[in-house]
Amino acid sequence: MTQRRKLTRWLIVLVFLHGVVAAAGFFAPYDPVEQDRERPYLPPMRIHLIDAYGHFHLRPFFYPLRLRKDSFDQYEEDTASAVPLRFFTRGADYRLLRLVPSRLHLFGATVAARVYLLGSDAYGRDQLSRILYGGQVSLLAGLLGAGVTLLLGALIGMAAGYYGGWRDDLLMRAAELFLALPWLYLLFALRAFLPLTVSPLEAFLLVVVVTGMVGWARPARLVRGVVLSVKELDFVRAARGFGASDLYLLRSHILPETANVLLTQAAILVPQFVLAEMTLSFLGLGVPEPMSSWGNLLASLQQYSVLVSYWWMYLPALAIVPFFLGYLGLASALQQRSSAYKIDGESGWSPT
Amino acid sequence: MRYFLRRALHAVFLLFGVSLLTFLFSALTPGNYFDEMRLNPQISQATVAALRAQYQLDRPLPVRYLHWLNAVAHGELGFSFAYNSPVGPILWVRARNTLLLTITAMLLAWLLALPLGVWSASRLGRAPDRILSGTTATLLVIPELVLALGLLILAVRTHWFPTGGLVSVGFESVSPLQKLQDLASHMVLPVTALVLGTLPMLVRHVRASVAEALQAPFLRAAVGHGIPRRKLLYGYALRAAANPLISLFGFSVGTLLSGSLLVEVVMSWPGVGPLLVEAILARDLFVVIGGVLLSMIFLVGGNLLADALLYWADPRIRTAASAK
Amino acid sequence: MRPLLRVENLVKHYAAGRPSPPKNKFAALDGVSLSIRARTTLALVGESGSGKSTLARCIACLEHPSSGSIWFEGVDVAGLHENQQRLLRPQIQLVFQDPASSLNPRWTALEIVSEPFFVQGRFSKQERSDKACAWLDHVGISRKMVSRRADELSGGQKQRLAIARALALEPKLIVLDEALSALDYSVQAQISNLLLELQSSLGLTYLFITHDFAMAAHLADEIAVMDHGRIVESGPAERILRSPGHHATRSLLAATPRVPETPTILVNF
Repeated sequence: MTQRRKLTRWLIVLVFLHGVVAAAGFFAPYDPVEQDRERPYLPPMRIHLIDAYGHFHLRPFFYPLRLRKDSFDQYEEDTASAVPLRFFTRGADYRLLRLVPSRLHLFGATVAARVYLLGSDAYGRDQLSRILYGGQVSLLAGLLGAGVTLLLGALIGMAAGYYGGWRDDLLMRAAELFLALPWLYLLFALRAFLPLTVSPLEAFLLVVVVTGMVGWARPARLVRGVVLSVKELDFVRAARGFGASDLYLLRSHILPETANVLLTQAAILVPQFVLAEMTLSFLGLGVPEPMSSWGNLLASLQQYSVLVSYWWMYLPALAIVPFFLGYLGLASALQQRSSAYKIDGESGWSPT
Repeated sequence: MRYFLRRALHAVFLLFGVSLLTFLFSALTPGNYFDEMRLNPQISQATVAALRAQYQLDRPLPVRYLHWLNAVAHGELGFSFAYNSPVGPILWVRARNTLLLTITAMLLAWLLALPLGVWSASRLGRAPDRILSGTTATLLVIPELVLALGLLILAVRTHWFPTGGLVSVGFESVSPLQKLQDLASHMVLPVTALVLGTLPMLVRHVRASVAEALQAPFLRAAVGHGIPRRKLLYGYALRAAANPLISLFGFSVGTLLSGSLLVEVVMSWPGVGPLLVEAILARDLFVVIGGVLLSMIFLVGGNLLADALLYWADPRIRTAASAK
Repeated sequence: MRPLLRVENLVKHYAAGRPSPPKNKFAALDGVSLSIRARTTLALVGESGSGKSTLARCIACLEHPSSGSIWFEGVDVAGLHENQQRLLRPQIQLVFQDPASSLNPRWTALEIVSEPFFVQGRFSKQERSDKACAWLDHVGISRKMVSRRADELSGGQKQRLAIARALALEPKLIVLDEALSALDYSVQAQISNLLLELQSSLGLTYLFITHDFAMAAHLADEIAVMDHGRIVESGPAERILRSPGHHATRSLLAATPRVPETPTILVNF
């Protein structure tokens, strides 16, 4: 079935992307908080195979950058000293997945000369490393936020659909309210009324909880729809005929039917929540320094000087694009698969 | 008519809900907001005391809510500490700027989306449609933040467009035509960002609705009658596809005030967005409440508009509603 | 002798339109009374919309009647509390018309027939599996089919499965709500023969609901005709078939297609 194949294809892409970010310590050459005050705002270094004399080298190498004479922010390559890239080299300590200590990195240079593949920031920190580690924070925020939302939405949707009556009315009115509001504004409003200066961990949790609480309405409505239609099916009636309790019915018959809807919503929500974290952090309302997230990596772009002279500071913004692609592809594959079974047309993707 | 009244009542209910939510957020902040204000050396103790009395912080919650509701109904949205003036006028100026941007962007987006979508639907599956679908898919994958920042960098490096603000320095002293030019040149970037952000989805919706309408038997009958192509597409197919698009249009109106927050902040356009963000960072409570409330009013109004338009445009809804 | 089931003046209202306050109350059951003796089959015949399914559900305690009483073995089940009803449930089981919706398509045959034991909660995993397999065997589903998913089975097999599930808790009364109507004629014959055989070997009582008089003729000892929520005629099967009294009965009889003599051999799938 080509649908199956499409689904697996997107899953593989996503697993790969997440894997790279999860193993950030391995793929990143340096520690993200390691500063190098001597080399602020270095542009990305180029990797060469052919040196200045026209010789071909099998091992890629780079030239360290030095300041051009009579300039304080223009760099040029120091073609005199070529530094080879070393693969699977020992570098800074890190813990893979916070558990396994290791010193192995995919690539690196010597102690003296550092390779900045994507340039450095104001404090001389390697952007590539910061992007990889920042991805951990942003993706985790997105996944957890989506998790909270789906959990809330599923519980509320099931309660509303199964019990009906005034509970259903009340919950669906509340859902309408939340659906009617622009989630970004709601997010901001929620954030506004919470303390501004918190520790990075608290800030992270705050972002997760706040984004989670904002988006429950659509999943709740969709789950409710599934519950309403499954509730009337005869096999549920039959089970009640054996004396099954409500909880049993919800758990064994109704919940499995909602899996499809929940998965599709997950694929749509995760990138939205990652974006929410990026937006909040970009504006200084999310994850603060020194923890890096894709959002606060972009914060420096708010300064005109950075915009003009240091274009590589924009690169963290592009990091999310492949993830968006993967998740949207997954979502559309899931939607195609589920629309083969049912007629619901409401699980929309809204950019607002 | 009764249908419309019912929807209007519904909208009022929504507004109440929103105002309640907003008020609750502000009232239930951990730590008294006014305590933080007291620590702020710029605000005198007397002011804090006066405000506390005015906002009746010592009264029970429902009383405060009613009091606040009353104040809002009279147009008093509170006092801004950062700007040292009532919130109303500040908000109004910013809202005007935002609307200038978003209305232009919305009109442009719709003017582009309709023909593109119709054209794409009429050539379903063939090369032009696939190219367009590919483009929209690509654009959809790029979030607005990324797009806006990217455009900004482009502008900065090419110096083709000014990169911030509403107008240039010395705006007052030039001719009306130059004023218009200046304003327009400042608007290009943010409008482009907004249009690029909303166009892909719009085109997709138009394409989907029109494609579905083109399948209908009555359209094939019309072809058989020899009606010219353009009239078919726009007069018949688009009309039939109008329902979801009208709802969409109404919702677009609803997001006029809130949809551009990010773009405004990134492009330094002096609209409601940056005001809100500044206010949050400066803990300027009443500006935040006022901004949020205003956007919600727009949203609810937009929903109502969508309902009203649908009611007016589709006779089926009118008959169904009056049959109830 | 006291009848196994006696229904007295059963009324069930549904509210059409707005739920509160109910605008137009629609009476699905408008004073239904009937009785069934143990080990017999009562066929309830009527057109669609006459209230048959509603009656079935009320008897199986899946819905609450608006008024009236249902006496099962002398106990008024309609008036019972939820917990007490739960104890009684295993005695009255329901077989539905459409096996596609009455069996969870993702579950296997074994899981479906084991479910009643699982819900009752007093059997071990092995016991459940053994009992379920025994019942599946009883209805003629071979060992190979036992781990097939429900949506992989044919219509006839699915109904056998539904019957096995209904039998699992050893009920006294089985309500068959148009249980054969969705099957092909040949399969109908097989399943109805299965039902007859089960009835004699297990001493079951059937309430067989149908719109088809031919089926009723084949299976029933007594027939009751239902029209617009009321029983309009009832009595021994031969009498109703030979000399129908009510106009509803006569129009239903007239609408029945002439079915050839049904074979009486049980075919194993």
